[in-house]
Amino acid sequence: MYEEPVLSWKVAGLLLGLLLIVATALVKPLGVSTEYVVTDAIVLHKAAPNVAESNEYLNKYGEQQDWGIGYGWMLVLGMFVGGGLSAFITKRFRQRDKPSLPTMWRDEFGSSSPRRMMHAFAGGALLLFGARLAGGCTSGHMISGIAQLTIGSFIFGISIFASGIVTARMLYKRRLAS
Amino acid sequence: MTLILGLVIGMAFGAILQLGGASMYHKIMGSLLLKDMDIIKLILMGIAVGTVGIYALDLVDMANMSIKPTYVVGIIIAGLIFGVGFAVAGYCPGTCVVASAEGKTDAMVTVLGGLVGVLIYAIVYPAISGLIDVTNYGEVTVPSVFDINGLWIAIPFSAILFLLAFKVLKDRYE
Repeated sequence: MYEEPVLSWKVAGLLLGLLLIVATALVKPLGVSTEYVVTDAIVLHKAAPNVAESNEYLNKYGEQQDWGIGYGWMLVLGMFVGGGLSAFITKRFRQRDKPSLPTMWRDEFGSSSPRRMMHAFAGGALLLFGARLAGGCTSGHMISGIAQLTIGSFIFGISIFASGIVTARMLYKRRLAS
Repeated sequence: MTLILGLVIGMAFGAILQLGGASMYHKIMGSLLLKDMDIIKLILMGIAVGTVGIYALDLVDMANMSIKPTYVVGIIIAGLIFGVGFAVAGYCPGTCVVASAEGKTDAMVTVLGGLVGVLIYAIVYPAISGLIDVTNYGEVTVPSVFDINGLWIAIPFSAILFLLAFKVLKDRYE
C-alpha cells in the first residue's frame, strides 16, 4: 500500500476542529480560496493596473484592501510554512521518486510527467473557478460553512463530492475494474 | 498583529493538513473512490468538533461567524465544477498549497492553475454573476430557519457525524 500519514484521522480531525474554534473566536473561520483572488489582484495591479481596476470582480477584492496583503493572505502563507516545516520534521519532504508524480497516479497512468502536469493545471483552474462561483472552497465553504450550519455549505459539500466521486471513477476505471 | 495571527493560525492549519495526510494525492483520490475513508473522516471529525465549539462561543457572543449566502442553483453548478477539478487535480485549493510546501511539483502547478482559474472567473464574471442572484436565500443557516439556538442543532448534528466517522464509514481496500 501507499505511504500513510503521520497522524490518524481522529487526532488530525480533532486538532482541525479545535483550530477552527480558536480561529472563529479570535478572527473568523478558516478559508483559503479568496486569497487566490487577492494574489491575482495584487499581481495584476502591478503588471496591468488599468486591466485590474476595470475588472468588476478583481476590484471587489483589490480596492477594499488597498491591493495588499491581509490576514487571510498571511494565513495561506502560514499554511505553506507550517506544512513545509511539519513535512521536513517528520521526514516527508520530497519523498517521491519523481517530484511531479504521485505513486497512485503512476500505477494507473504511467510515468508521463507532462500528462500529470496538464491534469494538475486544469484541475486547479476548475477548482478555483468553482470555488469563486460558490464563494468558498473545501475549507471556507465546506468545513467552516457546515460547522456554522450554513444551508448553502451543505449543498456545496454534497455537490462537490457527487461530482468528485463520479469523475474519480471515470479516471480510475481500470483500477476499479481489476 | 492580525498579520502575525494569520501566519500562526495558517501554520497550524498547514501542519494539521500535512500530518493528517490531506495533502497526499492518494489519500484524496482514495476518498473520492470511496476506498480510503480517512480524509472524509478527518473532515467529519473537524466539523463535529468545530460546530459545537462555534455555537458554544456564539452563546457567549464570542463567535466571529461568517455565513456565506445560499444561492442554490449557482452553488450546485459551482460544486459540480469544483468536484471535477478536485478529482482531476487530486488536491483542493488549500491542500495544493501544503503539498507544494512538501516539494510536490504537480501541486505547485495546481496552484498556478488556480490563479489562472480565478482570472478566467474574473473575466466571465459579468456574464455569469446572475447565477448568484437567482435562488438566493441570503445568509441562512439551519438554526436561523428553525429560529432556535444553534446548539440545539449543533449537538445532535455533531453526534451524527461522530457516529458516521466511528461506526458507519469503513475503508474498502481492494
